Amino acid sequence: METNHPITRRESLKRIARISAGFAGAALGVSPLLPTGTTHAATADNRFLVEGVGSKEGYKIKELTRKVFEAAGGMGQFVSKGDVVAIKPNISWARRPELAATTNPEVVEAVVELCLDAGAKKVRIADHTIHDARRCFALTGIGQVAKKTGADLVFPRASLLRPMKLNGHRLDVWRVFVPFVEADKVLNVPIAKVHGLSTLTLGMKNWIGGVGGRRSSLHQDIHQSIVDLAQFFNPTLTLIDATRVMITNGPSGGSPSDVAVKNTLILGNDPVAVDAKAAGLFGYQPNEIGFIRLGQKWGLGSYDPQGLTQRKVAL
Amino acid sequence: MRAKRLVWMRRISQTAFLGFFLFLLVESRLPEDAYLQYSLIFSGDLDLRLDHPVKFFFQLDPLVWLSSLLSGHRLMHGFGWALGLLVVTLFLGRVFCSFICPLGTIHHIAGSVKPALKGDRMIRANQKTPGQRIKYFLLITVLMTALITPNLVGLLDPISLLFRSLALAILPGTGLGLKEIFDVMAASDIKALNHLSYAAEVIVSPVFGYGYPVYKTGWLIGLIFLVILFLNRIRPRFWCRILCPLGALLGIFSRFTLLRLEKDEAACTDCKLCSRSCQGAASPMPSQIWENAECLSCFNCFDACPEGALSFKFRWAPKSNRRPDMGRRAVLGGLAAGISLPFLTKLDGTEHHVSDPRLIRPPGALPERDFLQLCQRCGLCMKACPTNVINPTLLEAGLAGFWTPHLIMVQGYCEYTCTLCGSVCPTGAIDEITAKEKIERPIKIGSAYVYRGRCLPWSGNGPCIVCQEVCPTSPKAIYLSKQVIPGPNSSLVEVNAPYVDLKKCVGCGICETKCPVKGRPAIRVIAAGESRSIQNQILLTGPVS
Repeated sequence: METNHPITRRESLKRIARISAGFAGAALGVSPLLPTGTTHAATADNRFLVEGVGSKEGYKIKELTRKVFEAAGGMGQFVSKGDVVAIKPNISWARRPELAATTNPEVVEAVVELCLDAGAKKVRIADHTIHDARRCFALTGIGQVAKKTGADLVFPRASLLRPMKLNGHRLDVWRVFVPFVEADKVLNVPIAKVHGLSTLTLGMKNWIGGVGGRRSSLHQDIHQSIVDLAQFFNPTLTLIDATRVMITNGPSGGSPSDVAVKNTLILGNDPVAVDAKAAGLFGYQPNEIGFIRLGQKWGLGSYDPQGLTQRKVAL
Repeated sequence: MRAKRLVWMRRISQTAFLGFFLFLLVESRLPEDAYLQYSLIFSGDLDLRLDHPVKFFFQLDPLVWLSSLLSGHRLMHGFGWALGLLVVTLFLGRVFCSFICPLGTIHHIAGSVKPALKGDRMIRANQKTPGQRIKYFLLITVLMTALITPNLVGLLDPISLLFRSLALAILPGTGLGLKEIFDVMAASDIKALNHLSYAAEVIVSPVFGYGYPVYKTGWLIGLIFLVILFLNRIRPRFWCRILCPLGALLGIFSRFTLLRLEKDEAACTDCKLCSRSCQGAASPMPSQIWENAECLSCFNCFDACPEGALSFKFRWAPKSNRRPDMGRRAVLGGLAAGISLPFLTKLDGTEHHVSDPRLIRPPGALPERDFLQLCQRCGLCMKACPTNVINPTLLEAGLAGFWTPHLIMVQGYCEYTCTLCGSVCPTGAIDEITAKEKIERPIKIGSAYVYRGRCLPWSGNGPCIVCQEVCPTSPKAIYLSKQVIPGPNSSLVEVNAPYVDLKKCVGCGICETKCPVKGRPAIRVIAAGESRSIQNQILLTGPVS
């Protein structure tokens, strides 16, 4: 394939667009052309961040998710009628949801429903998992969410991992999981966890699951790699699931004792601000985390509260 | 019943059973919609299992049952099918061979469609030969060997042979060929071809395995299968007549068959059409004596006879049945070979001394000796494994363990909560365990070691920690320690260097698979420490005093 010959982003998008019409059996009636400029989210003037906290005993996570989006002006602000929406949860590990290694399926379910309510034509849930994808989709509960809501589950097939130019500071041509570049809107729905190398895995780091190829070599310059990937995928919104967080033994966990309940959701359109806020839950200052610092440096966003509209909802 | 109708019944049955076999073969892998059986209320004990009875043909196979009984002293789950088949054989003869056996059907097709031999040459090829005693020799050899250990039946058992050949060679080979076509189509500039490529992959990949699995020694397995198919050009159903130990077993059991070929010598015009179409070389001509142990009950002779001189009838006449023609040499030779083979297989010392460090058995595998008494080398665990880590051995397990499963961690890894291999093993050579047992006991399949010379942090070549990241135990068996290491240009670099805690490591091998050093990773798993073995331990175990 063309891995050795970098192709321009425009060219690769064209190619992706061509393929997309046959994608996921959704060929009929789907306009494959990607409106390239529109997925860019964070612009200097309308940065916002909503923090949702479920403080009452027995609160509903789905209800909290809806409240958080309401506080941000409703899903209709971000997803338009007829949009194809790609959702990127973190379901890297074949673990049950209560182990907090993967995004809470209730959060994902609420997000899918909100997208469909806002008139999305198609919602796709995709992740290039670390464990076997079939087992991940089954054990994390995300497969069930797709079945229940009618969203498409997209498996990381070889034909959907296409070499593209990332134009990063560190990363050049990588195999990109196409559902994330061909969608009208991309929603990043990660879980907050600790990580042995990058200290934390939050929103920006979730994009390692958006590429294929020799991912294990990304660790040799992990923070810059994360920022390059986050810049490339540039989601419309990031919603960090911190209802349960992994406080030790991350990012895979495996024991209920690795988990702390935080009952928190953080939504925003500035990936750096959202990650900075979530880092606070673990007691870190934003500049203590390499990829947050680099994200600010390269203009991906800002953890500066100046110019950031912050709201808080509680349930 | 009219002969035409019997022959058509046979063809329909052959097609149905071959189709069922192929269906189960394809279904012997985790489906993409594995999540459908899950409810949103998660139960921690639910293990992913296959929906279809993929073990069926092994349960139906009396040779698999008999050898597990003789060797491992175990009654297989579902062995009632095999017993039933033996009872049927007692009354109807080798109907399994011509009505059910999928390998027999494949040979039947290979020998009948465009046959290599015509006319007289075919008649001559269909005469009984002393070579047909070889199958009894082989049967006695493998059963005698099984009695002493190891159980080598699976090498020759037709169901195991066919499953292994199709699952590990023919299917992956075809799949990879198709994938190449898809890749070319996907890279093309023609829009329609791109669409077609994706659509074709969606349709085709469930059949050939989602990740296009490959298996070590697959080429050898495929080659042997092709040679066996090619033998049909020398004699039709060469395998069934001369080599198949299951055919021999069923031949012995057909000693008192009630379904007999009745011959009317007066009506015979000696046209030899019966002999020309005979599948088993069972002497159907009225001038010969019918060999009931060789007859496959295919009803071809009945159908071919223009004079009505041949017919199959039920008759209680056990005396007039022939004893299976084994020959004394085949019996004695088989016994001698069956007694010496087990000792030959011990000569490499794998059983009593040190086994190959890379002989990592699937989780739940029995201790090596018990394992070799039960494993049929059928490849079902290898086909079912979602990460393609289970591969057939070549020499790692010695002669006794040829083609038994072992884990090659550069190709895949054993997923921490996956217990699929044990659930599909037909004989219980791999115990059916639950994910809970696997984690809590824990079931260790080996131990990981860091090779510092190749490790990026340890060799001063920069940060990595991938092995620690993917380590699935809690707490992690791989831990990091800050080290100051001499780097390039007489610098000093501070790195997080990985260490392995052998008490926690289960040997799953995901560290080895995901290590950025490919081919010979900087962290590797060896079998030492596997919980199935008492000897192969590193640490002093037991309560701390």
